[in-house]
Amino acid sequence: MSHQPCAIVGIGQTHHKKARRDVSFAGLVREAAQRALDDAQMTWTDIDAVVVGKAPDLFEGVMKPELYLSDALGATGKPMFRVHTAGSVGGTTGIVASHHVETGRFERVLAVAFEKQSEGNAQFALGSGKSGSLGAGGAFAPYMRSYIARSGAPLDIGPMVAVKDRLNGCKNEYAHLKLKDIDLDTVKASPMLWEPVRFLESCPSSDGACAAIFTNQAGGEAAAKAGRQPAWILGSAVRSEPSTFPGRDPVRPQGAVDCAWDVYGQAGITNPREQIDCAELYVPFSWYEPMWLEAHDIAEPGEGWKMTERGDTALGGSFPVNMSGGVLSSNPIGASGLLRFTEAALQVRGMAGEHQVEGAKVALAQAYGAAAQYFSMWVVSNSLDPFGS
Amino acid sequence: MPNADDIAIIGWNVSPMVRHTDKTEAQMLLEVCSGAVEHAGITRAEIDFTCAGSCDYVAGQAFSFVQNIDALGAWPPKRDSHVEMDGAWAMYEAWLRLQIGDIDTALVMGSGRSSTADPTLIYPMEMDPYYLAPLGTDATSFAALQARALIESGKVTERQMAEIAARTRRDGKDSAYAQVTGDFDVDALLAEEYVNAPLRRHDLPPITDGACAVVIARADRARELCDNPVFITGFAHCTEAHYPGVRSLTESPSITLAAKAAGVDEGPIEVAEIQAAYTHEEPLIVEALGLGADTLVNPSGGPQAANPIMATGLVRVTEAARQIRDLGKSRTLAHSTSGPCLQQNLVCVLEGDVK
Amino acid sequence: MSEVREMTIQFPYKRSLGPVVGAFMTALTEQRILGIRNGEQVICPPIEWDPATGNELAHDFVDVGPAGTVESWSWVAKPSEQHPLDHPFAFALIKLDGATTSILHAVDAGSIDAMSTGMRVAPRWKGTRVGHITDIDAFVPGEASEVAGDDTGPAAEPVEMMDYNASIAYTLPVTANELRAEQANVEGRFLGLKCPKCARLYTGGRGFCPIDAIELGPADEVDLPQKGVITNYTIIEPVPYPGQTMTEPFARVMVLLDGADIVLGYQPTIDLAVTDLHIGIRVEAVWASDAELDDLASTAEGRLLGWIPTGEPDVTDPDLVNRIY
Repeated sequence: MSHQPCAIVGIGQTHHKKARRDVSFAGLVREAAQRALDDAQMTWTDIDAVVVGKAPDLFEGVMKPELYLSDALGATGKPMFRVHTAGSVGGTTGIVASHHVETGRFERVLAVAFEKQSEGNAQFALGSGKSGSLGAGGAFAPYMRSYIARSGAPLDIGPMVAVKDRLNGCKNEYAHLKLKDIDLDTVKASPMLWEPVRFLESCPSSDGACAAIFTNQAGGEAAAKAGRQPAWILGSAVRSEPSTFPGRDPVRPQGAVDCAWDVYGQAGITNPREQIDCAELYVPFSWYEPMWLEAHDIAEPGEGWKMTERGDTALGGSFPVNMSGGVLSSNPIGASGLLRFTEAALQVRGMAGEHQVEGAKVALAQAYGAAAQYFSMWVVSNSLDPFGS
Repeated sequence: MPNADDIAIIGWNVSPMVRHTDKTEAQMLLEVCSGAVEHAGITRAEIDFTCAGSCDYVAGQAFSFVQNIDALGAWPPKRDSHVEMDGAWAMYEAWLRLQIGDIDTALVMGSGRSSTADPTLIYPMEMDPYYLAPLGTDATSFAALQARALIESGKVTERQMAEIAARTRRDGKDSAYAQVTGDFDVDALLAEEYVNAPLRRHDLPPITDGACAVVIARADRARELCDNPVFITGFAHCTEAHYPGVRSLTESPSITLAAKAAGVDEGPIEVAEIQAAYTHEEPLIVEALGLGADTLVNPSGGPQAANPIMATGLVRVTEAARQIRDLGKSRTLAHSTSGPCLQQNLVCVLEGDVK
Repeated sequence: MSEVREMTIQFPYKRSLGPVVGAFMTALTEQRILGIRNGEQVICPPIEWDPATGNELAHDFVDVGPAGTVESWSWVAKPSEQHPLDHPFAFALIKLDGATTSILHAVDAGSIDAMSTGMRVAPRWKGTRVGHITDIDAFVPGEASEVAGDDTGPAAEPVEMMDYNASIAYTLPVTANELRAEQANVEGRFLGLKCPKCARLYTGGRGFCPIDAIELGPADEVDLPQKGVITNYTIIEPVPYPGQTMTEPFARVMVLLDGADIVLGYQPTIDLAVTDLHIGIRVEAVWASDAELDDLASTAEGRLLGWIPTGEPDVTDPDLVNRIY
C-alpha cells in the first residue's frame, strides 16, 4: 500500500462564456487541456492516463462523451475514465486523478472537467425534461431561508457575497461574468428569482472546461527545481449522504462536516480558520458562502455571515473566499468543482495573477452536488509540510 | 501471484437477469448490495468506500444515480463515488482507492434497466455528435460492420458465430444468472433471416435488466474476513480512437495493451469471462487477449445469455471470481468493453490465494 | 408486468462545430467532401487532432471522393426513426478516393444483393443542403454523384452550427409501492411507510429506508395525517424550455404533518397567493372530487390538488424553518 505525495504541476482553463460557439465540444475541452500541458511543459505523449468528469449528459445530449473525446485528449492507447457525481464532479475528477498517482501506478495524469451547456438548457436537463422544473435555485431556496433564520444574518449578507465574488471575477481573465459596476444597490434591485435569492445573487450558465496535471513526488520536485512551483495535495476526501430522511439538515449536512474533518485530519489542520490561508468554495447562490464557512467549521455556527460582513472573506481580508470570482462568476457545471480545486492550487503556486492572495501557503477547495449531499474537498500547499511537524 | 499489496474480492451478488423488471434500479441495487455484503460476511456499516457504475440515459433521468444512494445505507455519510461507466470501471476506481492504504473495504456495483427504452435509439447518442449520432448509428450496426470485416478477413465465419451463440446459450443453462438459454441447432440458426447483416438475431445479446455488486478488501482484511479471497493481480484498461473508420476493425490494440498491463501473459488463464455481447467479438477478443485454446471462454453464458448494460462487465468479474472461489480454478480473467466496435476495454486478472 | 409510465426525453440541441467540422459541413453544402491531412494520411471525415498522438492538425484540407470504395457494410433490415433512410439500407465504411480512412454513411443500394465489399459508391446529395452529415442523403452504387430534387445551391454563409433533435421514449414500470400509494391517493389518503428498524417515516411510493437500506412494504404502511404546517417554501419564476407548461410564478411548500415526523416536500398550494405565503400557516390536503378528476391541473399530485390554509392561527416555532426534511 502506498500513499505517495501528489503534485499539481499544470493547470489550464477556458475563457468561460455563456456560449462558446467558436469551438466544437472537443475543442472546448482541448483548450483547457492544452493550457494545462503548456503550464506543465509536457506534451500529450507524456500523459499516462486521462480522467474526465462532467455533469449529466442530458445537458449536451452526448452520452458517455469520453468515448468521442478520446482522440481530442490524446487518450488513444491509454486508460480513460469518466466520473459523474453531480455538482461535485469536478472535485471528484481531480481526486480520482490524484489517486492514480498516489497509488504509484501512474506518473502523469490529466484530469479534465467541462460542460458545454449552451447546447441544451440547464433547467430542462435538471428536470429531466419535465415541466415545472425547480431549477437548482428553487431547490436550494428553502435551505438558504433556513440558514438566514437560524443564524439571524441580516439580509444584506447575500448581496455582499454577490458583489465581492463578481468584483473578484473582474480580476480573473477566465471568468464569465465581469460585472465591474456591481454594487449592493444593483444586486438588491435585481429581480427576485427564488426568494430570498435575486438574479444578481445567482450563478450564470457557462460553457467551459478546466484541466489539471497530476504527478508524483519526483515530478513535483523537478518542476520546483525548474522554477515552476507545484501545489502539493495535503489531503482529499469525498462524502455522500441520502437526500431525504426525517430530520436531515441540508444546511449543515453531516457529509459536509465529515468531509471537512477528514481532509483537515489528513492535512494536519486542527484550526481551519487559522491554518488555512484562503478557500475556493462552491457558492452558486450567494448565501452559500456563510453556509459553507459554518458547515466546514471555519466559522462557529451562526458566525459565518459575520466573516462576510466584516470583510474577512474579501480578497484583501483575513480569510479570502472565492478569489477567482467563484461559481457566481463562472458556472460550467461539470467543471466548476475542478475550477475550485485548481484555483486553490494556483493560489499556493503563486500563479493567481491579479486575484492572488499574498503569501498563500495553504488553500482549501470544496465542491458539492445534488441536494447538498455530495461533497469533495482538498487542501493544497506549496510545501509538503507547511505546519512544520 | 498475490502479494501483500493486492486487493481481493471477498463477496458478490448478482440480481436475477430478466427481460423486464418491475423493480426500480435502486431496488435492484439494494438487493445486490445486501447480498454482496452478506456474502462477504460484513455489514454495510463496515464498508469504507462505495462506487457505482450506471448511466443517466439508460435510466431516462439526469442524476439517476442519486436515488441509488438509498441502496447503500449511506448514513453516517459514506466515502462514495460514481462513474458513468460499467460497474467494472467502478471497481477499478475502488481498487485504486483501496491501494492508498487508509481504508480497507469497498462495495462496488453496476446496474441498468435496458428494457425501458429501445437501445437502437439510445446508443447513437454516445457516438461522435457531428458525424455519427445524426445518422442514428446504433451499436448493432457498428457490430455488424465489424463482423463483416472479420468475416472477410477470414478471422471468423457465420457458422462459427452461430456455434458461439449455441454454445453460450447452452452453457447458460447451468447458470442462475442467465436469461436466454437453451439448446439451439446451428443449422437452424443459420437459416434465420439477418437482422443487421451479417448479424442474425442469435448473434445479438438479449436486452436485460439487472444489477451486480462486489465487495473488495485489502489483503490482510480480506484474509480476516474470508477463507478464499480472490485476488486481483492485474487490472488495466485502455481506449482507442473513437471513429471506427480510422481504426482497423479486425484487431483490438486496446485489448492487447490492457492485457499486457494487467499481466495476462504472466501465467495460464483457465477461464476468461469476456464482454463479447456479439458473437463475432469473441474470437477477436480472445485473440487480442493472447489466450490459447485451453482457456474456457464464458462458461457462464456470457453477455450472450444475459446483458445488463452497465453491469455486464462487473458480472463477468463475479463469474471469473466464482470459478476460483467455488470451482477450484487458480487463474482467470474478466473483460469489459465500452463504445463502438470495442473502442475501450478493461481487463482484470484474478488469482486464488497462495496457501 | 403491472403498470407502466411513458416518458419521452426530447430536446433540440444546438451544437457549434468549430473550425474543422465547420469547414467540412460548409463544404457539404457545396457538394464537396473534405478530408484533413495528417502527414501521409488523409482523414475523412476530418478531425481536429491526430488520433494516434493527440497533436493538433493543421487545417490542411483536401477534397476527397466524391466516389469511393466500400470497405465494410451491414444491412439494416428494419430502420429506426433515427436512421437516415426509412427503407432497408446499408451502413458502410467507405474509403473515398484520396482518403486513407473510411467515412461511415448509408448506402441506398435497394437490396442486400446489390451490396459487396469493394463496390464503388458515390454520394446522392440532398437538393437543399444545410451543412449536416445528412446533406449526403445516402451513397448510391456507381461512380457518379447525383442530386435528389432541385439543387438550391451552397450555403450563403460558412456553416457554424448544427441541430440535433434527440428523442428517446422510455417505458418505466411503476413499482408495487408506487401503485399502492397512487391508489391511496385516489381514495384521498396519504400512504406513508414506517421503517421497522428506525421508525422513520417516508412517503408511500418511496419504498426504502435509506438509513437502514431496507425495503419497506405493505406491512410497514401507515396512513399519514392530512393536516400540517408550512415549514419552508420556494417560489419559482418559470423559465421557458421545451415541455414547460408553467407561465406564472408558483410556490412549492414544505409541509410538516401534524403528529407525524415527516415533511412532504415541494407541495403545491390552493387558495394561497404567493404574496401571502409564510412559515407557520396551518394547511390541510385538498383532494379533487370525482367530477374534477378529469380536469386536473398539471400541478396536481394524483388526486391531491394541493394544500389549503385551514384558517387556524399560525404555528409560531422558530425551528419550523429548519424542517426541510
